Amino acid sequence: MRFILLDKVTVLEVGRKITAVKALSLAEEYLADHFPGFPVLPGVLMVEGLLQTAAMLVRVTNDFRQSMIVLQEATNVKYKSFVKPGSLLRMEAQAKVINERSSTFVGAGYVDEQPIVEARLRLRHFNLADENPEWARQDEHIIQEMKRRAQLIGAC
Amino acid sequence: MAFESGRRAVAIKNVSLAEEHLADHFPGFPVMPASLLIEAMAQTSGILVGEARHFQEKVILAKVSRALFHELARPGDQLRLEAVIENLTEEAATISGTIRCENRLIGEISLMFSHIDKSQAGVEFPQENFVFNESFMSLLQFYLKDAQTGVPNP
Amino acid sequence: MTISQEEICTKVRETLVDALGVDDDEITDDATLMGDLGAESIDFLDIVFRLEKAFGIKIPREELFPPENLLNDPQYVTNGRLNESGLEKLKEQMPHVDFTEFAKDPDLNKMPDLFRVKSICDYVGNKVNAG
Repeated sequence: MRFILLDKVTVLEVGRKITAVKALSLAEEYLADHFPGFPVLPGVLMVEGLLQTAAMLVRVTNDFRQSMIVLQEATNVKYKSFVKPGSLLRMEAQAKVINERSSTFVGAGYVDEQPIVEARLRLRHFNLADENPEWARQDEHIIQEMKRRAQLIGAC
Repeated sequence: MAFESGRRAVAIKNVSLAEEHLADHFPGFPVMPASLLIEAMAQTSGILVGEARHFQEKVILAKVSRALFHELARPGDQLRLEAVIENLTEEAATISGTIRCENRLIGEISLMFSHIDKSQAGVEFPQENFVFNESFMSLLQFYLKDAQTGVPNP
Repeated sequence: MTISQEEICTKVRETLVDALGVDDDEITDDATLMGDLGAESIDFLDIVFRLEKAFGIKIPREELFPPENLLNDPQYVTNGRLNESGLEKLKEQMPHVDFTEFAKDPDLNKMPDLFRVKSICDYVGNKVNAG
């Protein structure tokens, strides 16, 4: 199974905010264990979804200049309700600031009007070549893949 | 690896290239996603909290107060997760944990668990304990036995 | 060692910033925990644990925030409003909260407005200086 936690971008304001949706399907493998008899989207994957949504805004805003975007810190992540198969999780990320190397976001997830999750995220962005110039090719590969993904999901 | 009932648990996780999510995260440079490090800590802590309450309640993750990541975890890394109970009451538990790889501090994570019956008024869920079910419990006995004798699992 | 009310308030504010993830300047004396600062029941527990640790005091949960069982008890609540005995019980358990306004219209939906930053500061002040 691929590790892509957003299916489609519905709103994108460069440098400011992004909204994306993720459909939850009973076919998603981890649901078998989470939980048996009560399949729900794991909380950490909600965080991952918000993170990937925010990261997509960073990529577009920074013109895909960095390949690696990872979570530096998540705070006050609160889980309010469950996402069951057949639901559409709408993830909204508001940028507080987007710099070249770091960004901070306030994120929230909803199913229709029902709040599901909220989180504060701090991301860091870099290129592998920063540490090691030999890795420039890997950076390029990741960036191309992310550009393709962005187009696929309607981010740009 | 180590288990002090009601207090502390230590678990090991090997980051393996075989893990599916690594192919996308990121293509050509696999890195363990931070969210899955949080998950590993949540599982380690969940067992600690559940056991302290004799697995009577359905214990779920209610809040991640803070998850701070200092370094990346990569395939081949052996991660040592240590979770300590800070507070344990009828309603909730708070845990603080660290993730280390050899002498590198990978992450620091603080979590809050609550008991599902008490936290999700109005949401329907099955009566039986789907969090700590039979197959989970037998697997746990296996790990706890080794933790107590100090023998690592093959 | 006595600690001044001002120091207590500063520490309480820091605790709320940590527990709720809000900015320091959002924490005014009058800010309501649930309305203005977005606190929910899991946060109340988080706040209690942190205050206990920060001040070395023990906080029985029902002293700071109303217990669910009181709010659901037909002895104290009728039609979503607190009755006489309900109000009395609450005042008794939470002497640091000012119930005068609430008493005029003790609608359960208005309870969240009761919990303001100042009442937490006052409560902690009482506990610290009593013990």
